[in-house]
Amino acid sequence: MIAFENLEVRYLATAAPALKGLTLSLESGIVGLLGPNGAGKSTLLKALLGLLTPSRGSGTVLGVPLGAPEAAKLRSRIGYMPEYDALIEDASAYEQVAFWGELSGLAPEAARDRAHEVLYFVGLDESRYRPVSGYSTGMRQRVKLAQALVHSPELIFLDEPTNGLDPDGRRRMLDLVLRVHAELGTGVILASHLLGDVERVADQLVILDQGQIKAAGSMAGLRKALARRVELRFLDPLDAAQEAAMADLGTLLEGRNGLYDLELAEADPAGIFRWAQARGATLVQVTPRHDRLDEVLLRALHPTVAEV
Amino acid sequence: MPIYAPTLPPSPDLHLGQPPALVIMRFDLARLWRQKIGRFFGFTFVAILLVKVGWIYGKYLMDTNQSLRPLQQFAQAILTQGAEFQAGLLNPAMYLLWFLVALVGGGLVARDTLYRVRPLMYAHPVAPRDYLLAKLGFASLLPFAILLPFAILPWLMSLLLAGTSGPVWVTAPLRLLPAMAVSSLLMGAIAVGASSMAATPRAGIGWVLGLVLGAGTLASMIHGLTGIQAVEGLNPVLLAEAWPQLMTGVERPLVTWLPTLLGTAFHIGLWTFVAARRTRPSEAVI
Repeated sequence: MIAFENLEVRYLATAAPALKGLTLSLESGIVGLLGPNGAGKSTLLKALLGLLTPSRGSGTVLGVPLGAPEAAKLRSRIGYMPEYDALIEDASAYEQVAFWGELSGLAPEAARDRAHEVLYFVGLDESRYRPVSGYSTGMRQRVKLAQALVHSPELIFLDEPTNGLDPDGRRRMLDLVLRVHAELGTGVILASHLLGDVERVADQLVILDQGQIKAAGSMAGLRKALARRVELRFLDPLDAAQEAAMADLGTLLEGRNGLYDLELAEADPAGIFRWAQARGATLVQVTPRHDRLDEVLLRALHPTVAEV
Repeated sequence: MPIYAPTLPPSPDLHLGQPPALVIMRFDLARLWRQKIGRFFGFTFVAILLVKVGWIYGKYLMDTNQSLRPLQQFAQAILTQGAEFQAGLLNPAMYLLWFLVALVGGGLVARDTLYRVRPLMYAHPVAPRDYLLAKLGFASLLPFAILLPFAILPWLMSLLLAGTSGPVWVTAPLRLLPAMAVSSLLMGAIAVGASSMAATPRAGIGWVLGLVLGAGTLASMIHGLTGIQAVEGLNPVLLAEAWPQLMTGVERPLVTWLPTLLGTAFHIGLWTFVAARRTRPSEAVI
């Protein structure tokens, strides 16, 4: 879906690069793009949309090389939902979704028909003729999603799609994102600082900071790679020799009253049982301590702090 | 509670659409009509046109009705019906047009800036030149379309009623249409350039009026101080009026050929350049 190698982007030739030699390959699916403000998420999206020309490196989006003359036409295959409002306040949702459809290449009549369909898909069927200036935040977000979907893109970029939504609105928006991928087969790049949102829908994750990729891969793989914490419960507290021998398993983070927090050197739970049997310790419970995504993010961005 | 569609059918073919510049222009036109200002000016211009056409008909009556002979003699005494009359066909609309261009054109780019719509346009297959062409085209075609009946209808009526001896020259459209095109492009370029510098439509209106009136005032001041009349070529209002005069061969135009050419090229070039710079994708903050 997207691949780039050593991608560097500068806003000015003399300025420091906003993206510093990124190399990554993303398969079709829902990709979560995480990072603090100024990490380079929006710059990356701009570069992928062909709005910024890379100063170094190369890449392809949907098979089209970045910076190629046909990159402008590529944008008819991509949908983009911006973080900010970007709504034409004096127009109805129907008018503006049809307008965006026409700008994507649909014939006027087809764009009008399509606007009805896509507004129904996002749940705005009944209020589509009202000016968007009177819409709630949730409705405005759904208009933005509708304009990104109106031309059936192969790939959509969603920038903070749940901004300003209440928990129910967030859930509905994320359900729509899941439907977009599951039912329409559209690839999704979801940039968000709300880790829970990314955790809920994404199956791939890219963590950006200061223009560099700090971690990337499948969600499960990242968790596995970055977090191998387990909690071990023994029948009796371990003696000093047994505790010292725990170094064979990994790093002991905390231990008292027979409960031990351990970071395994290898993701091999069976090895724990073999170790306990060999050391004569009675192991009664092994609890995987799956880190939440925020812990994963924190470790990726500030490894030393997280480990302390 | 929103009702969601069971699914979304695939989109129709994407390659049957119109050019992006045309799509944007059509949307701006629909938006203008929706605003009361569009309707107000629409009715105002129609009223002016009716008066103008009525005047031609009145002239015809005077020419053909013997009882109106004294009136006809009086009219012939005060109306030259020469080049100035031909150029004057457009004049009643010119000042009002500047206000319309300021009110409509001032918001053309600024409204997109305010609503942050332009970056989203560039995220579609819309090139910056499409955007600029759409805005410049709309801001120029609007005054041109309004002026068109003022040039064509009196000519047509004169031709139908009085043949080649009517008050409007047979060749008048050939002279007035190019003049209208240049004047309209001048108005459009200034409006779009000014609007691109504003953050809100109201500020855009202020920018257009400020540029038009400011350039005129500056030109008049320099003219007054130095006595060089050619400096009036900086005054956009005079330039727009000078073109019909020059094309119809008015004996003493407001501005002569060379300053008009230079001044028009300067304004169109400068404000188009400003608009192009201010609407680049790098100005678009996603």
